[in-house]
Amino acid sequence: MLRRGGLSGGPSDLLSARRRGSVRLAAAVAAAITALAVLGRSSDPASKPLPASVTVGAAIALTGNANLYGQDQRMGLALAQQWLSSTAQPRPMRLQLEDGASDEPSAIAAFNLLIRRGVIALIGPTLSQQAFAADPIAQRQGVPVVAPSNTAQGIPQIGSFISRVSAQSSVIAPLSLDEALERDPEISRVAVFFAQDDAYSTAETAIFQKALAQRGLTPVSVQRTQLADNDFQNPITAALQQKPQLVVISAQAVDGGNLIRQLRELGYRGQIVVGNGLNTPNIYPICQRWCDGVLIAQAYSPDLNTPINQTFRRLFQEANGNSTPGQITAQAWTAYQVLFEALQRLQERGGLDGVTLGEARRRLMQELLAGTYDTPLGPIHFRPDGEVVQGRFYVAVVTMEANGRDGRFRLVRSIDVNTAAGGPTP
Amino acid sequence: MSAALLQILLNGAASGGVYALVALGYTLIFSVLGVINFAQGALFSLGGYFTFLLMGGRIGVNGALPGWHLPVALPFWMALLLAAIGAGVVALLVERVAFAPLRRRGADPLLSLITSLGAGVVLVNLLQILMGAEGYAFPSGSAALAGLPEALFIGGARIRTVQVVLLLISALAVAALTLWLERSRTGQAMRAVAEDPTAARLMGINSGAIVRLAFLLSGMLAGLGGGLTGLSVSLAGPYFGISFGLKGLAVLVLGGLGSVPGAIAGGLLMGLAEALIPSEASGWRDALAFAVLFAVLVLRPSGLLGRRLMEKV
Repeated sequence: MLRRGGLSGGPSDLLSARRRGSVRLAAAVAAAITALAVLGRSSDPASKPLPASVTVGAAIALTGNANLYGQDQRMGLALAQQWLSSTAQPRPMRLQLEDGASDEPSAIAAFNLLIRRGVIALIGPTLSQQAFAADPIAQRQGVPVVAPSNTAQGIPQIGSFISRVSAQSSVIAPLSLDEALERDPEISRVAVFFAQDDAYSTAETAIFQKALAQRGLTPVSVQRTQLADNDFQNPITAALQQKPQLVVISAQAVDGGNLIRQLRELGYRGQIVVGNGLNTPNIYPICQRWCDGVLIAQAYSPDLNTPINQTFRRLFQEANGNSTPGQITAQAWTAYQVLFEALQRLQERGGLDGVTLGEARRRLMQELLAGTYDTPLGPIHFRPDGEVVQGRFYVAVVTMEANGRDGRFRLVRSIDVNTAAGGPTP
Repeated sequence: MSAALLQILLNGAASGGVYALVALGYTLIFSVLGVINFAQGALFSLGGYFTFLLMGGRIGVNGALPGWHLPVALPFWMALLLAAIGAGVVALLVERVAFAPLRRRGADPLLSLITSLGAGVVLVNLLQILMGAEGYAFPSGSAALAGLPEALFIGGARIRTVQVVLLLISALAVAALTLWLERSRTGQAMRAVAEDPTAARLMGINSGAIVRLAFLLSGMLAGLGGGLTGLSVSLAGPYFGISFGLKGLAVLVLGGLGSVPGAIAGGLLMGLAEALIPSEASGWRDALAFAVLFAVLVLRPSGLLGRRLMEKV
């Protein structure tokens, strides 16, 4: 087809027509963006008035590799809800669970979903690796997060809306080393194993190795494993050639449990210290009788004789037969409890009257950090940066029943970190 | 031989034996149908879980029926045998659902890669729904090796007894299968179908029955591998067979597609390659194992013991 000729169709006219077209297009795009921004703002739950009944969202691992921890957390949250349902609630609080699975994209998706649904605060995610990915989203949108099980360094430092009730590994992990060294002061050869594809385990092994160095011990063997490994013949035989007297493991429940079993089967008879990833009764069926004697530092002890821990233990036993609760369940309970108590305090002071959800989130975060809490973990409060301050930690030894399938974390030492005084528990 | 070298050989043989077992399952189907059954890894998992349940194991709290268990508690060896048969029967189902319809329609064999992959994903997901994602150890699993020491010390090297048993049973299964393929009438019929399906059919061999037999046997091999591995290292969730399945696939290619001796040699070589990798580089273990595969294929495209394919003109 030919173009129309004539004066009006000259090149300069074509140029100006194109310019006009570009200006119109730019204007249309700008208008669309503005409209979207306005619509988006008006549909943002943070700009709406706080509802009479508020919802806390929990994004925990109900599927995937970390599912074992997630199930413990679900139990802790359910028990805390059960316990608090009988107390006065000036501002009713509901819990909405969302599967954060065991990977970063799922945790991000769960956080986004819960924030869009207008939760006042979030509990989760289960893994530290997920927290580094998902917490910045909550931080950008001003939603308070209480991490129930993230122990890696730097979690509360993600932002002013991020806190945790799980004391970081650097505080807890070295305590079990002290117990092992007290049991055998002659220890000089240490082998270290860690899951190199897990952010938590790599962070924890750095803490363990630093603590070993502070105690004058250099590992004679450092073996790197992977979370999906199940056959540890190669790293174990390599480590055993160095004749270690103490083995220190940073791994998760299934791979770590398998590693312990194979260590024992291959003839290692020395002490074993494990990190927080194995801090769950779920290791019992994996390493069975070979778990016996494993040392672990904990932020929770079922043997703590306080009224709230007795209540927690009783409710747990009613729900789970005669078994005793683990640290992860206790920390999940605690996460729910601190949010509940902060919210009710704020409500009683009138701090939530006539405010938007966004403002309520901000005030709740301030209130959360300002309070002190009597929890199954013992009394806790928060540092201004959201880090938990817990006065007492524990060292337990895994003690298996004669059938080799059931066991318990038997308390052998409690340590008051404020006074740095430690000793066998009465 | 130095103790360190012996240790590496033992470590390599222990894992290589299982890889060979899985690769043999692939080999049987590939040689008969010219396709790869991607559900092999899922059948491996299934064999482990069947053994667990037949030994009286209980479903954990995350499963669909927490605490449920079979009303039997068989000794390990009987449970293993029945579990292998069970995995074989499921493999037959996979053949019915994922392979037979495509074969009947004369579809491109490549399509069966996808259908078998789908069947594998469905099986693993079913396992996860029914059994939960937690790890399981066999109830009184150690009783299977009662009276034996937990580890054997050979010339300064050490190996867990269960792994020696695993290696011996793998070798036994491989030898029995090889003998059966060579000597028995049905084995010869299977080789005939693998060689030339049309000629085999003209000679009166029921190729449909041979295909089903190949699936049954390959499923049984996977089930056997899963049950034995479960005894050795527990069941680390429903996906634990998938990594063995992938490794078996690499071994199949390494040894030479469709070659039984190649599957054995490939399995042992893969196991040895992994055992040679020091701990500092263990993050590269899978990458290095596949680099060995790549290097062998560059030098010898038909695999270690595979035959060069001649194009008929």
